Amino acid sequence: MTPTLTFFENIKLYVGFTDASSAALRELHPVAQPFFAPIVDDFYAAIEAHPGARQAITGGAAQIERLKQTLIRWMDKMLLGPHDEAYYELRSKIGRMHVRIALPQAYMFTAMDRIRVRLLDVLRTNLASDPDEVERIATALNQIMDLELAIMLETYREDLETKHRNAERLATIGQFAASIGHELRNPLGVVESSLYLLRQHLGEQLAGQPQVAKHLDRIGNEVQRANRTIHDLLDLARNRPPRRHRTGLRALLESAAEAALLPAAMTLDVGIPPDLTANIDPDQVRQIFVNLLTNAAQALRGRGQVWVEAEATADEGVRVRLRDDGPGVPQQDRHRVFEALYTTKAKGSGLGLALCRRIMEAHEGTIELEATATGASFLLTFPLRKADDLTGAAGATA
Amino acid sequence: MPNRVLIVDDNQDLAENIAEILSMQGYATEIATSAEEALPKALPDGPGILVTDYRLPGMTGADLVREVRQRRAVIRAVVMSAYTDERTISAAKNAGAEFLAKPIDFASLSLLLAAV
Repeated sequence: MTPTLTFFENIKLYVGFTDASSAALRELHPVAQPFFAPIVDDFYAAIEAHPGARQAITGGAAQIERLKQTLIRWMDKMLLGPHDEAYYELRSKIGRMHVRIALPQAYMFTAMDRIRVRLLDVLRTNLASDPDEVERIATALNQIMDLELAIMLETYREDLETKHRNAERLATIGQFAASIGHELRNPLGVVESSLYLLRQHLGEQLAGQPQVAKHLDRIGNEVQRANRTIHDLLDLARNRPPRRHRTGLRALLESAAEAALLPAAMTLDVGIPPDLTANIDPDQVRQIFVNLLTNAAQALRGRGQVWVEAEATADEGVRVRLRDDGPGVPQQDRHRVFEALYTTKAKGSGLGLALCRRIMEAHEGTIELEATATGASFLLTFPLRKADDLTGAAGATA
Repeated sequence: MPNRVLIVDDNQDLAENIAEILSMQGYATEIATSAEEALPKALPDGPGILVTDYRLPGMTGADLVREVRQRRAVIRAVVMSAYTDERTISAAKNAGAEFLAKPIDFASLSLLLAAV
């Protein structure tokens, strides 16, 4: 029985890439290597000239310099090999990075083609050999570049599948959540109205009975919290698009802090300019803040510090950072925290961060867990306002 | 002569609570736990105000309002629901009732009954 082939073995077989092909590429390396730098300069010049492609590069000249060096190493490796499973793993990682920075596939494709054309040109002009030799090496070059493309496409496909799976999960949960949520509203309605009536009946007696009053308040608070959870669950099911208008971030954060019912021993340090606004759906973004604050409170076990800072970004967007000095997210969990149903809390629903991400995506923004040595730090990035908001702002009440 | 309100909800505890809150506000109240139970209390003459849940075991609260309004010229109605989708809200309005979302904000209910 033939053993199954790995993905890489399979595609190598399909294009006819053999050890001879690897050898041919190694022959090309010394010829092509002196030209790597100009090829790479030309490559990034083309990206900088193209607004669509340029957007993926946010780190300025320093980042481009790093990327150029990386691309040179990439070409070295491509020609030198070895073209084994470790090679495939490395190339997949590079592919995943491109997916993560949201470089559109079309740009990735045409960029690869640019390199292919230049390398073929270098080969044909500089290899002092007979035409058959040149063709042999050109074939190997074309094969490896096709393999590189296949690997890149595979990473995009995997990413799309993961996103799709997550979206489906959220939708299914949403449907369950909706029916449960609605069912719970009735009993809660009774508790709430009976509480109201109790207070009415007790009337002035309450003043002399602080313990009774305290417990009635407690019931009231928890019913409110339950109602809010149901509200969130139903929002999850409904998944409505954001209704955006200019919103003051400081006030929104403060409202979220109140709603989150944070423990007294937890200090919240708010560093948001009072005049900083963003073009957002206030209810949805408040929900993000409530989720993050509640998570922080739980991670801190009720005592510790949370900092919230916000600032406008160069391109008219807004960045908000929420961090705590708690235990942080374990390294092995960091890439999973935004998955629906993923939780490390005994009583967590595993939906909070997935919901946060969905709201951010609906705002065309991003939420990331930053790489910090201690504590947890979440960075929300909202892009600049869009045209459709102008009508909203005009029609919105203060 | 106090205004009479008929409260319809299949959750009897909730119907009774609403009745109690409204009677504290000076209304005379009756309750029913289904549209079918409510109809004979509302027709031919009955309370001038109808406060009903949308989702009931048999016909909906909106249907109930429509049935009653067909036979009696004057009735003020409020349909309540935990479901606040377009369909439910329009069903209420088309039947000639005001819509109130659950969980019930009793201040809003009072305002609605005063104005409706």
